[in-house]
Amino acid sequence: MSLGLLLGVALPHSLAAGAVPSPLTVRVLMPASFADATAEPVKRFNVAHRDLQVEVVRGPLDGDTLSDLAVSGLLLGDTPYDLLLIDQTWTARYAAAGWLAPLEPLLGEDALDGMVAGARLATRFDGHLWRFPLQGDTGLLYWRTDLMDRPPRDTAELESISRRLQRHGRVRWGYLWQGRQYEGLSCVVSEALQAFGAHWWEPGRGVVGGRPSLEGPEAVAAVRWLQHLILSGISPPAVVGFAENEALQLFAAGEAAFLRNWPYAYALLQEGGGPVAGHVGVTTLVGAPGQRGAGTLGSWGLALLRSSPHPREAASVLRWLGGEEVQRHLAQRYGYAPTWTSLYEDESLQRDLPLLAVQRRALEGAVVRPVTPLYAQLSDVLQRQVNGLLSGGGSPAAAITTSQGQSELVLRAAAGTTG
Amino acid sequence: MTAWLLMLPALTLLAVVFLAPLARYAWLSAHATSVLTALEPVANGGANWLRLAQDGRFWQDAGQTLRFAAVSVGLELLLGLALALLLRGPRGGRAAGGGLRTAVLLPWALPATVMALGWRWIYNEPHGPLNSLLIAAGLPPYPFLSTPASTWFAVVVADVWRSTPFVALLLLAGLQAIPPELEEALVLEGADRWQILRRLLLPLLSPWIGLAALFRLAQALGVFDLIQVLTGGGPAGSTESLALYAYLNAMRFLDFGYGATVLLATFLLLLLPGLLWLMWQRRAGSAA
Amino acid sequence: MIRAVALLWSLGPLLWQLYTSLRPADALVSGPQGLGSPGGGIFGGWTLQNYSQLLAADPPFWRYLLNSAVVGVAGTALTLLLAIPCAYGLQQQRGALRWGTLALLLAASLFPTALLFLALLEWARQLGLGNHLLALALPYAALSLPLAILLLRAALADLPPELEDAARLEGLGPLQRLRFVLLPLLAPAIASTAILVFLFSWSEYPIALTWISRESLLTLSAAIARIGASSVFTIPYGAFAAATVLGSLPLVLLLLLFQRAIVSGLTQGAVKG
Repeated sequence: MSLGLLLGVALPHSLAAGAVPSPLTVRVLMPASFADATAEPVKRFNVAHRDLQVEVVRGPLDGDTLSDLAVSGLLLGDTPYDLLLIDQTWTARYAAAGWLAPLEPLLGEDALDGMVAGARLATRFDGHLWRFPLQGDTGLLYWRTDLMDRPPRDTAELESISRRLQRHGRVRWGYLWQGRQYEGLSCVVSEALQAFGAHWWEPGRGVVGGRPSLEGPEAVAAVRWLQHLILSGISPPAVVGFAENEALQLFAAGEAAFLRNWPYAYALLQEGGGPVAGHVGVTTLVGAPGQRGAGTLGSWGLALLRSSPHPREAASVLRWLGGEEVQRHLAQRYGYAPTWTSLYEDESLQRDLPLLAVQRRALEGAVVRPVTPLYAQLSDVLQRQVNGLLSGGGSPAAAITTSQGQSELVLRAAAGTTG
Repeated sequence: MTAWLLMLPALTLLAVVFLAPLARYAWLSAHATSVLTALEPVANGGANWLRLAQDGRFWQDAGQTLRFAAVSVGLELLLGLALALLLRGPRGGRAAGGGLRTAVLLPWALPATVMALGWRWIYNEPHGPLNSLLIAAGLPPYPFLSTPASTWFAVVVADVWRSTPFVALLLLAGLQAIPPELEEALVLEGADRWQILRRLLLPLLSPWIGLAALFRLAQALGVFDLIQVLTGGGPAGSTESLALYAYLNAMRFLDFGYGATVLLATFLLLLLPGLLWLMWQRRAGSAA
Repeated sequence: MIRAVALLWSLGPLLWQLYTSLRPADALVSGPQGLGSPGGGIFGGWTLQNYSQLLAADPPFWRYLLNSAVVGVAGTALTLLLAIPCAYGLQQQRGALRWGTLALLLAASLFPTALLFLALLEWARQLGLGNHLLALALPYAALSLPLAILLLRAALADLPPELEDAARLEGLGPLQRLRFVLLPLLAPAIASTAILVFLFSWSEYPIALTWISRESLLTLSAAIARIGASSVFTIPYGAFAAATVLGSLPLVLLLLLFQRAIVSGLTQGAVKG
């Protein structure tokens, strides 16, 4: 009996002592750059929450390599993550593959209402919300404040200013952009199409998400303009081999009047101490006269895996990771463009981040690359055709027609005939 | 009867792993099996093949793979012959010792991906050993792996380094099968080393050379490991091989149907060295 | 002289990995290959840090070597189990059947295995064979079978037929003949074949890549590729080199121990096959 008493006293005590349940861990796979950028807020979260821990798995730096890593597990139905940070262009593909869990049942239909309009692009597909954007970078136009009073308002002005400066020997080149055969070129072409009133993709219903619409004189005009930039000497012929880095370096050396790049370039230019430091202005990309220019959206966002054993907790972590606290940290420390309207209206951020106003304007009008599971193949077709045109010559109309034809073939080969 | 029973398990496994895939690829290539069809086959009227015919990336990769195979194997045959002669040692002399043979075999024994990572460092610009040599010699560093014009050859060198021992071993076997009296006879006639090589060794070695070429060409046309780890197909897809393209189609683009089409097309391309070899055999046979 | 060149050519790249793996990161990027490194040139700045990093990682590097060993042994065992009877049965055949099968086996042995990954991946998905080390033994055995059967049949053909005849006269059935008379005589050929098959399993990449996604189960080839693609290290080359060296060690050992068997296996097989 005394034993029972002993046990009776001891047991509840041990239960109380060992009563702290092992914390539930939500694992997130991110590219290395984002993993490093969010490390501090995540550490604070883990200290503040004893029952819920966030473990950020630091994946490869390169986006495609990260996707390959995630897909290898997803294809085998065996993946150790709850959340993935995905590039917007993967959204439709992962969703169509059935690997993601829709977010609106867990976060509500109005989950993204507090975000700037452009940030909500490439988050929904086939009727559901799949991706919660963490940042909203867009392509921007950099200009030399020491060489002109104000930035150009359209492509015609960009050309005339470039020519004038080049003729007077103030700069060697007018406009630097990315023309290498890679995803960056798809962004540039996407912007050019928008600038001339054309569209790469016509959104629609269903699992394909629409149809390619590379047709009509506007699309040809867009591609012809890119070719014209090189042929007329406004852009160097070497631009067909440029990625972001090469274009940035040439601009940083003072060799050009204009540069198309992402927001990260601003800090590098201003703090690099080169000839252009302190003389760099940033604005939204220009369109053809009478058209609206826009930058391509380059956004990473959080997605919830269907296979997660604790979707509710994972969804709450997702909401926090994509929330104001983390985004403020990313904006202030790393210059990533936030997606929340409230952050754009925040005065301290407006003070600290000179680019904030431009980024908001750019994000509001951003152009999105085709939201379709077949995006990677379509991008490959367009990159190949345009880079071939720019480096090997030929007819812009033929490049557009071939791109459209091959895109349709890709669709047919992958989608099958429905009768 | 027992003979068949003994062979059955092995032959079954072989049929399952070698023949069934080819049949499956043929089936898949005639259907749409992609992320759009939930990876289930849906008829698409041969659209995969139509797409292949117009696919610039496929034809570029085919050309690159053929060039890689031809140059690699050519170099391997040359160096392999030299290595085999070295290992055999001078006629009447001592054959190469075990130490040299171990060292020579090492490149071939190492896993392809392991040394591919090693080569990435060797070619690294500007810190890798090769560029360090260039810098030490007063030359500017060269981006071996960032310039399309040179990257493919850098890959060839890595492959030649790895595969030459295999060719050398095959040719060594052939050399050892040559009766020494024939060589001695030529020596007595006063023939020098080159004449012995041309008049005796090469003709007698030709079936071995053909076999080595056949093996290596087939393997080279399916190159995957080296490319994926060393260059990832870059820069700008200039080293992408057919096998890698098929892999990307399946694993990255989630288009199994088109991936199967590319694999089947590559297999058909494989028949090419087979045909060449048969022609070589016939010519060697008729000449003998 | 030529031998020295051959040695340098064969061993140089690997030796350079060894050198690189023992240098700290900053030594590698300063000056020509650390020969002018801070801390006194070639005699300054040696470290085992790259190795400790790999061995302390999660999972530790030796795990991958273990995984490869498990798959290698399982694959080799399965291959021999299937190949020995098959070679024996094949040797009993005569005429067109034997030559036809041999030709098909030869064709299969030179087939680039990377092309099979897609069909095999489908099976892994459908049959749930993914992320199981022992399951890998199945495709590995199948891919090694052609070579194994060719080598073993050639070795069988070498044996004097009187031995089997004598055994048959004594009333031993085919399986008994195989087991008691031929197997012991085949031992060297079996050893050579086993080593070659084991080597193949270590090197195999595309199937391991697609069948295994869990980090703790990766084989060496797949793990090295994943390490090469990751960005865990800031200046990764020392760590990469250490991974290369560690990954090569088991095979270097294997080669040192069994060089003779490997060479004879390949050359004999080539002669008789």
